[in-house]
Amino acid sequence: MALTEPAVEVTHLRKMYGYNVALNDVSLSVSLGEVRGLLGPNGSGKSTLMKTLVGLLKPSAGFARVLGLDVDRDSMMVKRAVGYVPETPRLYEFLTAAEYLDFIADVRGLGFQEKSQRIKRFLGALDLEGKEGDMISSYSQGMKQKVAIMAALLHHPKILLLDEPLNGLDPKSARVVKELIHELSREGVSTIFSTHVLEIAEAICDRITILQHGIILAEGTSQELREKAGLPGSGLEDVFLKLTGTRDVQDIVEALLR
Amino acid sequence: MISRLRSARRSFVPRGLTSRPLLIAVIGVILFVVSLLGGVATESFLKVIPNLDVQSLVVIIFGGIPLFFVGLLWELNASAESESADSVNWLPISPSEYVFASSLSTEYTYSPGLMIGLGFSLPIAIFTNNLPAYSVLVFLAIIASMTGSVGIEVLRSALARASSSFNRVGGRPVIVLRIVAIMLILVLTQLLFNGFIISNVIGSLVSGASSLSFVPIFWPTLAVTKALESDVVASGLFVILSLALFGGLSGLAVFMKKRFWVLPSTSIHLSGKGAITGPSRLGFLGMSQLSVALLRRELRSATRRKEVIRLIVLPLILPVMIGFPFFLTPASRPSGASSPPAVSAILGAPFLLGVGLGALVLAMTSMGQEGRTLWNLGALPLSAGRIVRAKLLFTSLITSIGLIAAAIVSSLLFSLSIYSSVLLLIIGFIVILAEASLGIAIGSRFPDFSEGPRPRFVTVTGSIIGTVLGFITLGLMVAPVVVAIVLASFGGSQAFVSVAIAASGAVGLAVAFVGYRLSIGPVEKILSDVST
Repeated sequence: MALTEPAVEVTHLRKMYGYNVALNDVSLSVSLGEVRGLLGPNGSGKSTLMKTLVGLLKPSAGFARVLGLDVDRDSMMVKRAVGYVPETPRLYEFLTAAEYLDFIADVRGLGFQEKSQRIKRFLGALDLEGKEGDMISSYSQGMKQKVAIMAALLHHPKILLLDEPLNGLDPKSARVVKELIHELSREGVSTIFSTHVLEIAEAICDRITILQHGIILAEGTSQELREKAGLPGSGLEDVFLKLTGTRDVQDIVEALLR
Repeated sequence: MISRLRSARRSFVPRGLTSRPLLIAVIGVILFVVSLLGGVATESFLKVIPNLDVQSLVVIIFGGIPLFFVGLLWELNASAESESADSVNWLPISPSEYVFASSLSTEYTYSPGLMIGLGFSLPIAIFTNNLPAYSVLVFLAIIASMTGSVGIEVLRSALARASSSFNRVGGRPVIVLRIVAIMLILVLTQLLFNGFIISNVIGSLVSGASSLSFVPIFWPTLAVTKALESDVVASGLFVILSLALFGGLSGLAVFMKKRFWVLPSTSIHLSGKGAITGPSRLGFLGMSQLSVALLRRELRSATRRKEVIRLIVLPLILPVMIGFPFFLTPASRPSGASSPPAVSAILGAPFLLGVGLGALVLAMTSMGQEGRTLWNLGALPLSAGRIVRAKLLFTSLITSIGLIAAAIVSSLLFSLSIYSSVLLLIIGFIVILAEASLGIAIGSRFPDFSEGPRPRFVTVTGSIIGTVLGFITLGLMVAPVVVAIVLASFGGSQAFVSVAIAASGAVGLAVAFVGYRLSIGPVEKILSDVST
């Protein structure tokens, strides 16, 4: 892949679930080392876009390329290059965290020395050292999330697809993950990061894409989004609510209390 | 609430059926009428047999029904899971309400079985002038099945408590303990509720010399058999005892539900340093790091997941269970020198049936076992072929243990010659390959990824198609060899045996190859459209 080519390129992508349109004519481009935030209300198509990029879902129309590889045709190569954390990571609960990471490392082809070192390092960084021998079924949601993040990072991925990765994480681990994304970005790793926490998106993403009903509503840096919404100087939450056409939140609350 | 429980609880009964109470009633009525006609036909048939002791048969049929229904419900639910995650547990429901609704739900779900028993025995009661005993039977059969369903509630609470202690323990001794425990439960239930044993038990009960009358689960049966003997006092006593048993178990079920409603945290918790594995010794056999990782994952899943353990036990225990009648019939056991080939062939067939069915069931459920964790495989650079081969290898490995155990047991018990034992093993391995490949082909086309207390892993349609095809394959492979060996024993050409074995092997390998090829496409499709 030439250096000028984007790391992720999505062109007129459409995904249907039966008669329901999950993604409609979505096009976007993420460059090397960029951290792209995906924002949108529940059911806007963020997770569907992530799953399509990692090859878990087949596009109904259009195409997506990761590092110049077609996600549908070259899915094996794409999967080798990508690290993915789903919105609700269902891990093998019958394994211990160490066994799970060992399995992932073996499938990814890591040698014994390398996998031992990396697993140990990650366990220490995310405060799971000493608990790696416990079955995953005994873990809290946050601990499972940490294991999923470690599994996604084990093989030095070139692309990270993180679907609400900070869900359930304690503040220290969330900070570690955010810093890690920054560092990896400097090393040229591109990240697509979906979140509902707008402050996090603003803090760590180079650019933000707002999706609604499977359509891209707006795209740009947080400053560009403010300008598009005609709300310079406002918080990203106000920008998001205006762009997604959410009616006055105060009215909704009053209706609920009635 | 009953309806909700019935539709939420997973069993081999299709959900479409369990969620429609009216349909169960209609099926029950239809089965009652069909069984009634069957009873009329049986009675007419018995009449024409000279010197037949009809009354003894009536005792076995009438006495067997309550015994069967106490046992059947236990057997069906022997491996029932803890239901601590049932949504009803979070609702304001008292333990007694839960136990009442849950046991009534089980009772109603399996009521068509009761209708078969009662329909079949009605004409026999009429023609043998046993209507008063029949009325006792109707009452006791209902009490017996209610006792069985309440017993399940006791079992569920006890298993939930035991599971909470052992579930999170990963040590090898516990894994072995768990497998052995499930095998023992299966053998025990098979022993207790095997038709051959039931008739022997009833014979002992009727003879009056048995101490079995002190065993509570035989009380409903005794009430019926005493009624058949016109011993009203004894029958009445056992009716009262049966009701007391039902009442006692109900109380125990409510007590246990109250006690273990909210499960205590694990009482035993072994934890190690994890397991970062070095190069596997299997690498010397040409297996790659990736293949070893997949196989290791399958083994850990099979030995640590409660809902999967009962499946891996099947290939180990089925050969023995299906060959059961031979163990129990002394006449089939030749003494002294090696059995003649014909005997070996006939004895080997049930074992192969068990091995084949075990492989089939394990393989059919292997894709569905992935459940909601399927995304793990989908997001990794794994080809469909790799996954199919790993599942095939795992199924063959587990089933081969059952085959070898069955071959050793049958060789010792029936003094099989070395030739016969080797033949049994060779055909057995090919049967395993064929049935495992067929099973994966079916399981990947009809996977059931839904999870629950008793996940099915393969759809009902898939189970039916797979079982039919599995039996056809087994028949095509085993029958010609058995026939050729039997014919050879009666003076036929030995060449037929060789031809039959070669043909059987060719059929098995062809099915294995086709099954493997047919599995790739569906697995590819599953992996390319995964919902997380």
